[in-house]
Amino acid sequence: MKVSYAVPSIKPSFQRPPSRVAIQRAASYEANLAAIISETLAEFRLDLKGRSVLLKPNFVGADPQCVMNTHPSVVAAAREAFLRAGAATVVVGEGPALERDTEGILEAIHLREYLGSLDGAFVDLNVDNVWPVALRTRASSVKRLYLPASVLRADCVVSLPKLKTHHWAGVTLSLKNMFGIVPGHCYGWPKNLLHWAGISKSILDLNSTVRPDFAIVDGIVGMEGNGPTQGQPKAAGLLVMGDDPVAVDATCARIMGLIPERVEYLRRAGILLGNLSEKKIEQIGESIASVSQPFAMVREFEFLRANGRITEPRSV
Amino acid sequence: MRAEIVQQPAVKDERWTHGLLAAQNLDGGWGYREGQDSAIEPTSWALLAISEMGREHSLDREKRAGASFLGRNQLSNGSWPTVPKDRAGSWVTSLACLALQGLGGWAPQVDAGLHWLARNWPGEGGFWWCLRHRLFGQPQLVVQDHRLRGWGWTSGTSSWVEPTAYALLALRAARGSTSFLARVDHRCRLAQAMLCNRMCAGGGWNCGNPVVYGAAGHPLLSSTCWALLSLGEFMDQADVRRCVTESLDWLERSYSQSPGPGSLALGALCLKAFRRAPPTVGPALSELYERNRFLGQVPVLAWASLAVQSVPRWLRPAIPAST
Repeated sequence: MKVSYAVPSIKPSFQRPPSRVAIQRAASYEANLAAIISETLAEFRLDLKGRSVLLKPNFVGADPQCVMNTHPSVVAAAREAFLRAGAATVVVGEGPALERDTEGILEAIHLREYLGSLDGAFVDLNVDNVWPVALRTRASSVKRLYLPASVLRADCVVSLPKLKTHHWAGVTLSLKNMFGIVPGHCYGWPKNLLHWAGISKSILDLNSTVRPDFAIVDGIVGMEGNGPTQGQPKAAGLLVMGDDPVAVDATCARIMGLIPERVEYLRRAGILLGNLSEKKIEQIGESIASVSQPFAMVREFEFLRANGRITEPRSV
Repeated sequence: MRAEIVQQPAVKDERWTHGLLAAQNLDGGWGYREGQDSAIEPTSWALLAISEMGREHSLDREKRAGASFLGRNQLSNGSWPTVPKDRAGSWVTSLACLALQGLGGWAPQVDAGLHWLARNWPGEGGFWWCLRHRLFGQPQLVVQDHRLRGWGWTSGTSSWVEPTAYALLALRAARGSTSFLARVDHRCRLAQAMLCNRMCAGGGWNCGNPVVYGAAGHPLLSSTCWALLSLGEFMDQADVRRCVTESLDWLERSYSQSPGPGSLALGALCLKAFRRAPPTVGPALSELYERNRFLGQVPVLAWASLAVQSVPRWLRPAIPAST
């Protein structure tokens, strides 16, 4: 089987144009999320006509309250919005990192009630056909990974993470969420090869090779403390979206009261993959200051905090 | 522990059998789903499942073709890669050995695979690793004894519960039939101690970190089942019996609430193997099959098929008569 995939551009930050990130309020999962996402997609003028889209949510465990998982209503709303925007197909794909029983997770979060039949609508990336891909950067010791054909074939990959803290990486957002595309059947549950090679470096290598074309962060209810699975729910009432995942993650970190430059993998990603500096991120919708609320961190990541001072976003 | 095996009515769903057989590729192997490229793990599970099917199914041709696929894809060092296009030995070596052991006629290949397993140590837990971990690690992150080593998913990384369990089962199934196994006895004891060390408080296992940042991890059904089944060999030891009893209690309380067919099937299989009586699982699995067709996944079809048959010999624990 021949698989082709678009290689993302790697440009140093001084050559990159400014990025835009949309912060939209969504009080609850009952809000009209499809309309919010559709409006934002229109702002970004993505060329989706006839394209195949793969939505990559963060499904970690069988948690019916969906504190640790991207809520299925966000997934369903994103699917509807991308179809409305002209996408030919929209498939949801995830490879849970810890739990082998993917169907158990999907049933626990009632994904079927939001998407209808899962046949053709969902692909378990842990057990998809795989293709060897040379990684574009060599930050970690991993030179090559087998990656799922469904991801490599998609015209547009959308990362749909949860707004969460992470006890190994500080925060887990749209870049870290891409760990879920690494197939469990090749690398195990958890995907220990990436941890062994260094989480921050592996995040850079993976995203330099398969960078999400768009990111939608579910911050309606996030997670603080001992994330990604054992933290406490944190209602932030937000969706954060954009076509530069680094800028989206940096904005989310600022909303969480953290300095993104102190998150190792974001700092690395800001050099090669996207914009980290506030000066190069134009905020659409709400300002960071108006929605910011400090997230509790485990002690080892307290140093990420912005010392209580939240800076106003600067438009470019 | 209960002594009597409670007989269940055999509720078999022929659709699982047909699903398994229909998914076999022309190269003899199975992919993770029908139509996917053949891979070692689904081929091994499919072979293990169809080997247990009753006399009503004559599946010699399918078994020969599947075994031949495994034989062709063994690497020169005796191991198996996860997918044929890869050249690195991996965790699926244990499963390939188990599948071929049950078929007969593949002794040299199984021997080579078991030798590779015996030589393949994880990257953590060695002298230099322990020294570096002691000097530069963050001991408060995880509370576990890193000197106790099992097997990893990929070579040279950490030990995890499931690959360790598969390796123990493969080595146990070969016990007595190959000459070198006495020499891996120490390794098996170390792995057994690692599993007991990694058990979650209150019983059960997750993938292998029972405590992170002082927070107790939640057990997962599939990891728990494989850990239990692999510890069945060590039931002569009091500490293993304690782990097994505690974890079986947890499994008994938890497994019927599982919303996934894979966990449900493995839970039933495990309880049956340890002579705890699970409720009849066939109808529940049939209902789940109606819902999502098990997402078309061959390993789940194989586990469901195994769950409604007699416990295979390679999974039967050695339960002392006194328990």
